[in-house]
Amino acid sequence: MEILMEAFRSLGKDKVRTFLSMLGIVIGVIAVIIAIAIGAGTTQNVTARISSLGSNVIIVTPGFSGGFGGRAASVLTSVLQETDVQNIQNMAPDVGTVTPILQKSFNILYQATNTVATVFGAYPDAFSILDLPLLSGRLITQQDEQNYANVAVIGNTIATTLFGNQDPVGQTVYVTAGNIKVAFTIIGELQETGGKLTFNPDNMLMIPYTTASARLIQLNGGVSQILASAKSANTALDAVSEINNILYMRLQNSNQYRIISQNQILSTISQTTDVLTLLLASIAAISMIVGGIGIMNIMLVSVTERTKEIGVKMAMGATRRRILGEFLVESMFITIVAGAIGVGFSFLIAMIVTYLASGLGLTVIITWPSIALSFGVSVAIGLFFGLYPAYMASKKSPVEALRYE
Amino acid sequence: MALLELRNVKKIYDMGRDIQVEALKGVSFSIEEGSYTAIMGHSGSGKSTLLQIMGCLDRATDGDIIINGTAVKNMNDFQLARFRNKTIGFVFQSFNLIGNLSALENIELPMIYAGVPRAERRKKSMELLKTVGLEEPAERGHHRPNQLSGGQQQRVAIARALANDPAVILADEPTGNLAVNQWRRILDIFKKLNESGKTIIIVTHDPLVGEEATRTIILEDGSIVNDERIR
Ligand SMILES: Nc1ncnc2c1ncn2[C@@H]1O[C@H](COP(=O)(O)OP(=O)(O)O)[C@@H](O)[C@H]1O
Ligand SMILES: [Mg+2]
Repeated sequence: MEILMEAFRSLGKDKVRTFLSMLGIVIGVIAVIIAIAIGAGTTQNVTARISSLGSNVIIVTPGFSGGFGGRAASVLTSVLQETDVQNIQNMAPDVGTVTPILQKSFNILYQATNTVATVFGAYPDAFSILDLPLLSGRLITQQDEQNYANVAVIGNTIATTLFGNQDPVGQTVYVTAGNIKVAFTIIGELQETGGKLTFNPDNMLMIPYTTASARLIQLNGGVSQILASAKSANTALDAVSEINNILYMRLQNSNQYRIISQNQILSTISQTTDVLTLLLASIAAISMIVGGIGIMNIMLVSVTERTKEIGVKMAMGATRRRILGEFLVESMFITIVAGAIGVGFSFLIAMIVTYLASGLGLTVIITWPSIALSFGVSVAIGLFFGLYPAYMASKKSPVEALRYE
Repeated sequence: MALLELRNVKKIYDMGRDIQVEALKGVSFSIEEGSYTAIMGHSGSGKSTLLQIMGCLDRATDGDIIINGTAVKNMNDFQLARFRNKTIGFVFQSFNLIGNLSALENIELPMIYAGVPRAERRKKSMELLKTVGLEEPAERGHHRPNQLSGGQQQRVAIARALANDPAVILADEPTGNLAVNQWRRILDIFKKLNESGKTIIIVTHDPLVGEEATRTIILEDGSIVNDERIR
């Protein structure tokens, strides 16, 4: 009890020394927590973008051929057939919805403005599979599909390119290529989505599948890609293997097609984020070491400076245990309070950064292990280097300790 | 029985590289209770070394020191600390007050280590301020050392040395860092303490400071060359 009061008194009496010792620890703790928080935030951002598609999406694309003996690889078009879509629909119990996709680049013309975009012909289900939110107007319906309607839902980027601030809904655009020129009425505009796996809906003109196959992209029963969704995230892997069985039965060659699933991509990404995490762990370790050396120095110096004081106290009858006890209480107080302040400031900084950088997509996530690590290591280092010089000083004879200037 | 007895005490400082300084070359004498002894000699004659060993601030290389019937040689660090705390009061040339403690807190330090309760400590330290003539003005006890003159600091240091009512006061050149006009007050305090029965040993190279002692021990190059009882 007495020793506690003594320690607090000593801390209060030399405010500059106390402040400097604490500052080292506060900065060390903040550096580690924020470094790890930025890492965790970035990792979560990347993962979130990839999972934004929903974990049930399955995409089938043609495989590559060639690429050996110096020849460039080329995509195998007309490998996938409408019949494959039928078969998947009928024979894959874990597949929820499935749609063929016809897609190709075209010139899109509105009055005098002209841009290149991907025309994307698919069943109406494609909107729900890819989770594409509407900004204005309406989506393509089953009715449009049956009527071979010349209607289109326009992606956000081309809408801005062609229409500026004007509402595109109700306007007519022309899709042209060579001597083809087909008019489409815009019925809806999508919100900005960013890339969705292999697709970029922002730069797409989405039209009914029937319209695409009859008027723009004739592949004689062939399809560009097949888009499907598993019934649930749990059965996604089963759905993939069912699709694989169906395609393999007909093609007898697994190189002719590729099945891309959300799960698969996530696992690839998680390997990447593992590397990222490792990188950040090293950054954290380095900041911990730098912070630790700072704490070590300041404690070492501030306690060594007090060797003479230790000599005086020993001359007045303080035992070594008493001296170590005083410095233990002092160091504990300094490190724990400073550590807590560091944690508090980290949260504050995280909040400010999140507020200021919300537009930049920078996320800062403070994790418990980073708090435990930085707090634990700082307190341990602070205690050790607070006690060690006191121990060395108290081992001297009072005369030796008193001689220290 | 003598309060303090030295038998053939030697101190050799090891400077490394086989260089050794023999600061005390076998010193023997004894100090009676209630006496006032001045240890004198030129600078470098070994006075401080001798006083530090008597004060248990350092250990002798050889020989025996017996204080209050106890041989210092056989004591461990813990026992030595208790001895410094209760039996010896040390006054340094450079005061050695703790800068971030007030005058009263400095005086209380030895009492804290002796486990004296807080209230009693405060009462005793106020009394001691009066003993050394620093009771006025009342707030002086709360001044830090750097707010006091050298003479006042040394008086606080003497009060601190008296805190646990030690058997002996050891003072190493207590006026050495003070202007001559301050000496009188310090020396008067020692004289009064001795008159009230306290055993005093004072180290000085200045004959004026040793004037009031009842016994003078003169050191030269680590040996006693004269030991004289005056009164
Ligand atoms: N810590 C030390 N290391 C080495 N030599 C010392 C040390 N302290 C004192 N001496 C030497 O011991 C001798 C006696 O010193 P000291 O006791 O301080 O003398 P005085 O107090 O009479 O001036 C001197 O030669 C001094 O240089
Ligand atoms: Mg000396």
